[in-house]
Amino acid sequence: MEQKLLIVDDETHIRMLLQQTLEELEDDEVNFLTAENGEEALAIIQEEKPQLVFLDVMMPKMNGMEVCRRVKKELGLNDVFIVLLTAKGQELDRQKGQEVGADVYMTKPFDPEMILKKAKEVLRLGN
Amino acid sequence: MPKLSLKNIFDNRTGSAATILSLIEQLQAPVRIEDESGKVLLSFGSVTEKYRHPLHLGGEIIGWVTGDEKSSFISELLHLLLQKESERKKLGSEVLNLYREVNMIFDFSEKLAQTIDANSISQVTLDEASRVIRSNNGVIILWNEKTGRLQVVASIGELFFDEEMINSNLNLLQSIIFSGHSEIISDASDLKKAGVVVPQVQSVIYSALKVKHRIMGAIILASNEPEQYKAADLKLLTTLALQSSAAIESAFLYEKNIREEKEKQEALRQIYEATNKFVPHEFIKSLGHDVITDVKLGDQVEKIVTVLFSDIREYTTLSEKMTPEENFSFVCSFNEQIGPVIRKHNGFINQYLGDAIMAIFPGNATDALMAAIEMQQEVQLFNSTRHLLKEPSIQIGIGMHTGPLIMGITGDKNRMDACTISDTVNTASRLESLTKHYKAGILLSEASLRQISQVENFLIRNLGLVQLKGKQESINIHECFSGNSKQELQKKSESLSDFNAGVTYYLNKSFGQANHAFQKVVDFNPEDRTAKFFLNLTRQIIENGMAGAKAGVVEMREK
Repeated sequence: MEQKLLIVDDETHIRMLLQQTLEELEDDEVNFLTAENGEEALAIIQEEKPQLVFLDVMMPKMNGMEVCRRVKKELGLNDVFIVLLTAKGQELDRQKGQEVGADVYMTKPFDPEMILKKAKEVLRLGN
Repeated sequence: MPKLSLKNIFDNRTGSAATILSLIEQLQAPVRIEDESGKVLLSFGSVTEKYRHPLHLGGEIIGWVTGDEKSSFISELLHLLLQKESERKKLGSEVLNLYREVNMIFDFSEKLAQTIDANSISQVTLDEASRVIRSNNGVIILWNEKTGRLQVVASIGELFFDEEMINSNLNLLQSIIFSGHSEIISDASDLKKAGVVVPQVQSVIYSALKVKHRIMGAIILASNEPEQYKAADLKLLTTLALQSSAAIESAFLYEKNIREEKEKQEALRQIYEATNKFVPHEFIKSLGHDVITDVKLGDQVEKIVTVLFSDIREYTTLSEKMTPEENFSFVCSFNEQIGPVIRKHNGFINQYLGDAIMAIFPGNATDALMAAIEMQQEVQLFNSTRHLLKEPSIQIGIGMHTGPLIMGITGDKNRMDACTISDTVNTASRLESLTKHYKAGILLSEASLRQISQVENFLIRNLGLVQLKGKQESINIHECFSGNSKQELQKKSESLSDFNAGVTYYLNKSFGQANHAFQKVVDFNPEDRTAKFFLNLTRQIIENGMAGAKAGVVEMREK
């Protein structure tokens, strides 16, 4: 079954790193989508309904928190699993993450192994 | 790095698919693109099989482009796109590797920050190293300056490094590891020959742990695969070694500080313990202090206490037969037995005066009397040992008095002493002297007797009034014989009424009747030397008259 995974970050190198980290999932028929800002991300999510989104919090236009809130609270797209990525040292309180309906929190610099593990878990792909 | 496939070019992520499609449309070229398995990825128009171009990447065929003459343009474009995508992937993979390293170092620093002892730091370092550098086993060895030996402080996997062997092969190790470098040993045969590593080890990678130019030890990883380690591994290991060296150095300093602090505390505790032996803690406590260092010149406190004096009778005669050493050890062994008795009854020894002891009981005279009785019993035990050794038995006299006492610190700022100033001390001391005249074991003043609760628990007889040397007023004194031997105790108890009658007659100046009563006591118990004292006294008064003596008062002219 083909699955979609969306990577949202305003920084090119982070998007690239995430793609590179998750590269091996391509063999399991996972298609990668990318977005550079919140608005673009929201549009892609509505259109493509990806199974998994890695969503950066600090972004211009619409930030990750707001994207998450709209997806989960307004659009009710609860099947979209959202991993919020925050910079280390700027961790937003978990309460706020829960309020906007994020499924998981992870910090940057991220541990590539953890990211891959989480993606496999959400997309139900074996090792 | 997963292999690049043609499919990657055709997914919408790269945008390459759109470029190819637009070229095909522009050229109006019927074409079919297949992957290496023959699966059709794209097909346009009615395709002729005239040309079949293989698509090469890294020496392998990963697909086919089939069509007419124009299909070669498509094939060339695809080649270019594949090349570009392949380069992008290679770059991405390198960047990811760098990122992994950064992340690992970040992670490692965080872990180090949470660890303070050298062994835990070593273990964290080794765990991290073996996680990023594939190995079968690993150790961290540190040079122990105290023992002059290398010590394995952390290990993973089977211990491939024998601690004994390391130390017996110090020279070999010094020449490699302790040169301070980091290196890959692809041929471990020298180490195997020396028996330092186990036979299955094929390759070794190590990095020295050093701070500035001082080498503290090394981190060593080993693999059962030949030529397992690459230059990138060495770079990582060196980074880890650098970080953990600094952390281990700090841990050593920290441990050293803690150890020194503990030693200081212990030294201080011993000093306190020693000072407590010279100046009793009760004394310092009475002055309102907890430790001797708080005590200052002029500190003083007044209290009602019972002062007890004890002295070995005829000690001078006894000691004449002893060498100074024998003398000293005799006094020591005696004091050793008496000290605990005084503390047991809430008293403390204020002073040792050779064979004499001055003790203070801040609580109640009962404490002092109980201590005095037990002291007399101890002397009996002491004597039974001396009897077995064919040594003469000893007697002690104990006197006690209750009254106000000032405890304080006297001297000057360079030489201080704990002292007691009190007339109570003088009186107690005099009472102790009186035990010789009255041949009594324990003498207590009226003031002490009045403080004693449940006086009926003690065997006490009144010895009348006595005027102490240098004193105007005469005081009433009592003998306690609870501490006498069983036979004496019984006989004194049975003759108590006759004895009391004698003292009463004596106090009423009926010396004839008194003499008669004391004679009765002495007849019944010839061992009662106190009764004998009164018998002689009354006889003398009867024979010589009362000249110069106050009626009914024994006057002490000597100390």
